[in-house]
Amino acid sequence: MNPISASDRYSQRWSWERATFGTHCLNCLATCPYRVYSRGGEIMFEEPAAVFDQIQEGVPDMNPMACQKGSAWSAQLDSPDRLLYPMRRKGERGAGEWERISWDEALEEVADAVIEAIDYEGPESVVFEETVEGGLLAQAAYLRFAGLIGATTLDANGLINDFPAGHHITFGKFSCASSVDDTFHSELILIWHSNPSYTSIPYAHFITEARYHGSRVVCIAPDYSPSALMADTFVPIRPATDAALALSMCQVIVEENLFPRDFVRSQTDLPLLVHKGTRRFVRGPELMTGEREDQFYWWDQATGAVELAPRGSLLLDEADPALEGAFTATGTDGAQLELTTVFELLKERLADYTPEKAGPICGINPGVIRELAREAARKRTKIIEGFNTPKYYHGDLMERAMCLLLALTGNWGGPGRGIQGLALAGLDGYMLFGMKQKRGVAETIRVMDGLDGAIEALRAQDEEASDEILGYELLLRGVAAGTASPAAFFHFYHCGYEDTWNTNQWSDPAMTRPFSEYVSDASRRGWWGGLVKPGPSSDPQVLFIVATNPVRRQRGGSDTLLRNLWPKLEKVVVVENRMSATALQADILLPAAMQYERPNLQYAITHSFHVGFSEQARPPRGEARTEWQIFRALSEKVQERCSEHGVTEYLDGRRQPRRLDNLGSAFTANGAYENEESVMDEWLRDSIEAGTLSENGSLGSLKEHGTARFSGLGIFAPGLSLAANVQPDKTVTAFEWHVEDGVPFPTLTRRAQFLIDHPWFVEAGEDLPCHKENPAIGGDYPLLVTSGHSRWTIHAVSMGNSILSGTHRGEPLAILGTTEACARGIEDGDRIRVSNDRGSYTVRTRVSPRVRPGQLIVYNGWEPHMFEDWKGSNEVEPGMVKWLHLVSRYGHLRYLPFGWQPVPADRGVFVEVSRA
Amino acid sequence: MAATTETKTHQLAWVYDLNKCIGCQTCSVACKVLWTRDEGEKHQWWMSVNTMPGLGTPKDWENMGGGMDLSTGKARPGHQPTREEFGGGFDYNYQEVFYGGTAGKAHLEPQAPRENRWAMNWDEDQGAGEWPNSYYFYLPRQCNHCSNPVCLTACPTGALHKTSEGLVLRDEETCMGDRFCMEACPYKKVYFNYERHVAQQCIGCYPRIEAGVAPACVRQCPGRAVFIGYLDDEDSPVHKLVKEWKIALPLHAEAGTGPNVFYVPPLSPYRLNDDMSIDHETPRIPPEYLESLFGPTVHDALATLKSEMQTVRDGGSSEMLKTLIAYKWQELLGPFTVDPATLDRSNFIPVETIA
Repeated sequence: MNPISASDRYSQRWSWERATFGTHCLNCLATCPYRVYSRGGEIMFEEPAAVFDQIQEGVPDMNPMACQKGSAWSAQLDSPDRLLYPMRRKGERGAGEWERISWDEALEEVADAVIEAIDYEGPESVVFEETVEGGLLAQAAYLRFAGLIGATTLDANGLINDFPAGHHITFGKFSCASSVDDTFHSELILIWHSNPSYTSIPYAHFITEARYHGSRVVCIAPDYSPSALMADTFVPIRPATDAALALSMCQVIVEENLFPRDFVRSQTDLPLLVHKGTRRFVRGPELMTGEREDQFYWWDQATGAVELAPRGSLLLDEADPALEGAFTATGTDGAQLELTTVFELLKERLADYTPEKAGPICGINPGVIRELAREAARKRTKIIEGFNTPKYYHGDLMERAMCLLLALTGNWGGPGRGIQGLALAGLDGYMLFGMKQKRGVAETIRVMDGLDGAIEALRAQDEEASDEILGYELLLRGVAAGTASPAAFFHFYHCGYEDTWNTNQWSDPAMTRPFSEYVSDASRRGWWGGLVKPGPSSDPQVLFIVATNPVRRQRGGSDTLLRNLWPKLEKVVVVENRMSATALQADILLPAAMQYERPNLQYAITHSFHVGFSEQARPPRGEARTEWQIFRALSEKVQERCSEHGVTEYLDGRRQPRRLDNLGSAFTANGAYENEESVMDEWLRDSIEAGTLSENGSLGSLKEHGTARFSGLGIFAPGLSLAANVQPDKTVTAFEWHVEDGVPFPTLTRRAQFLIDHPWFVEAGEDLPCHKENPAIGGDYPLLVTSGHSRWTIHAVSMGNSILSGTHRGEPLAILGTTEACARGIEDGDRIRVSNDRGSYTVRTRVSPRVRPGQLIVYNGWEPHMFEDWKGSNEVEPGMVKWLHLVSRYGHLRYLPFGWQPVPADRGVFVEVSRA
Repeated sequence: MAATTETKTHQLAWVYDLNKCIGCQTCSVACKVLWTRDEGEKHQWWMSVNTMPGLGTPKDWENMGGGMDLSTGKARPGHQPTREEFGGGFDYNYQEVFYGGTAGKAHLEPQAPRENRWAMNWDEDQGAGEWPNSYYFYLPRQCNHCSNPVCLTACPTGALHKTSEGLVLRDEETCMGDRFCMEACPYKKVYFNYERHVAQQCIGCYPRIEAGVAPACVRQCPGRAVFIGYLDDEDSPVHKLVKEWKIALPLHAEAGTGPNVFYVPPLSPYRLNDDMSIDHETPRIPPEYLESLFGPTVHDALATLKSEMQTVRDGGSSEMLKTLIAYKWQELLGPFTVDPATLDRSNFIPVETIA
């Protein structure tokens, strides 16, 4: 080697004093461990820490875990869109005129608004948009404040819709994802409705490596997607017909008798008995007096009689339940009942989906469907799914059909099998935090003993319930006492969505009434009782938006919020690190510290199954503060100001007494949680206590090693829902407990449930999975917008990163296929008008032969103020909500945080385009 | 053979597996964040990934000439790419939009005329062909640290030299900014710094190599798609992939410069017939297009790769595929496995920056 000289510019540039650990705590949830290299208090660059050990012999390790956004984060810290000082708007909202104010002025103005809102309309009129950005410390800060005053927190999944409802309908939970390295075990990988080349950059390598390991990779997408490049076979599908494809594969498998009979009989509801006429399950008391309503039956061929289908175990043992046949039984009322199985109903339904019938629906050759079905039946198969399906109106049908395909091929609960979406592993210390009155392990043990007691009390009511099921029951009780509210009701009552959602031509034609009548019906039946906040007759007063960006993403266009909600609000408070579309519409802007400027922990996600940890590498720029500091100071300010307003104590929405005159000390638990480090330390200690981390998850150990692998699923339902045996030397495989140990699913029938015999589902024809055409959302137009996440941003974060914007055209784009462009005289780079009956916007176009005729791709994340007239791509998205998701109090169909609730669709919208 | 300033003992080589590259640009960004954020460097992307087929960066570089005339040992004529042809480096009107009181009127956009605007990956994911049989793939490009470095040949001031590790490095003190290197380089991977009036190009991360640390493009690649090592080290994956198994090929070898960056050529999904049945015979990417990039042996390389993949699918074993998988990430890094965080680099900090 012959360096130019040791003192040359490049050797000097690659120099540092400190290397700290950092991660970016973004809502990609990848949580890649980085090293942040700094000198003189300035960050020079970052680089993946690459600290992962190889977990399983013969499976590639996870290093380096990185993406271009993470590797350019240092450039973003001083981006021109950075917020550095508290600011107050001058003039009209959104006018772009600001004055810099002191922190004290800002906090006083916010504190006064909060106190007045509590006084005039009650604490539930103080509303927080939940976020999954900013890391756990950011979220804990505002949630703690909101919890202490009894505010409303709008469920994040009701806002962003990363909730695969079809998984929940089937499994009673949506946590189904194995660790990403489990993909290496697959023999057939179906990249389906997802684009991991863009959205899973840190671990897409497991797909390419599995392929070299012998797996076949198939990409099912409308366009020749960037992820199709990894595939052996590209199956172009007509957008939003994925349920038809999955059901057609199921039809072939059943027709050719390729399904694993015991897996289907033990894991699913398919052997359960139903009434021939009504298609309703036979329930306990119908055949045996005094039996539970949620007891179901099957026909046992061993005994030749109707028997109770066990609720406590999925293992068949001596039972030999019939999948097929017609049976009679005598009801407790003496009536003769004509019965059959769910499987028989399913066979009837599948007859509508022979490859010859489904092929034309999907635009796929029937032979291709047949071959793919046979292959899935024969191989360890994994569906790489993601969060695209939930954004479609009938996404739940697609998900249910995919789950059925997995059931009929025996593809869950074993290595290399299953469906990859999301799963939350348990950083249990975070969960315990809100329950503890003070710091320390003694208090943790007190709380955990209390939880144990509550669990055991619940178990006494149902001895066959699993820990997971009881965990959900406990969570429901927490919800009843908490601040969370499904956002759809807030949108319906306070944000002007009623007319939009009542547009029946944009909805499922199976609806016999306008949407609002279903809302009234659900409300009359008390399905969402206690969760609709603020109530229909009470206006929201103060809106806090912390590290999230509703004005960008709001379905129905930014105007929907600004026109309908904003005028009701006394104060809009935005805590952000950058000037987002939402920040532009704030009354008060509070500048937040960014990752690398503050310590943080990130959501515990099973993708890597490691805890995300970030250190402070430099002080926050300007006057930026961490959310913990901000909400701590705000609590103290409210405490200081409340007596002046004469509001020191009040009753919250649940008639529970609350105090403001000790809010500051309550926030820090009398000084115990003075700063982030003390909170992190507590969470980590408690996670070790609860068994989700071993000793290497201590704060000291993380500072040394940067990350730690989870050692267990802990004590709370979200973690337990993974149902995996966590071992130090094996990839994490979801649903092992269900298959290996027969632990029941948390559904009504305790099985993976394909029949939902709720009257609304029956009315909709969706009691069993089916395909429905995407409703004509937006009107009768020829192009379907499919959208998806971009390669270069996590939502809108990073849009202002000058390095990343240099890797592409640097402006919003709508991507149109060559034939559609030709037919309209549109050329690459032209300005085009995208319009439908909901609205319109103008954007530059990219013309590409990879896009399917009839499709328009608009990757989201662009801020509205990057479009002409600040009209962004959400202008054409009405944000329709599927009426069936209003159902509640049917077994597992009931609200859970991040879980079952009405969610808005933003994709699958019809538009026309023309040259602008 | 071009003159070199010293005896070559080794040759560093990179192998990019185009079947693992997902076009994410982490290599490009890693390089840029580390090396080209100073004045005059905004348009410089020493590492870049382009969608192929496409015009790439600089715009239409494949038709800009350059290369080595092996009969004369001199550079072939070539075009000197302009700053506009490299494109990018956009500035935005943040002040106006955020604080200008022009709400809803001015919108954020690159402050450069829209006509003829270009960027490092302007034709991202655009591709060619016709749906459903359209095709494209990603091609990461950096300096090829050529064995016959034509930039060196063309440089009148002797600013370039080939190191004992096989890197082609520029002494920026000696460089006069004549830019003959930019004309001569057939890959158009030399950039001009209009502020400092010197040419710049990939430095092979030599300060890292010196310290036993893999180059940023290699060490940061999330796709685990790139290997580095000594081509002359028979145990090295790069040697095996290039020399032994012959599945990693140089790009535009006909330019005569002896490039040392190699590519495992791209496979692609089966084509579809008019009735949407699968055509197992006709390749999706036209073979002649791949041949135009990687030469006539590309067909053999693809056949070898496919045959090994079939072997593994049939239950067999393949050393080649095990190598490409790289079960342990460090296998990609060649001999450069040092974790930079373990190094003390404080003695390299320029004195004037120490507070």
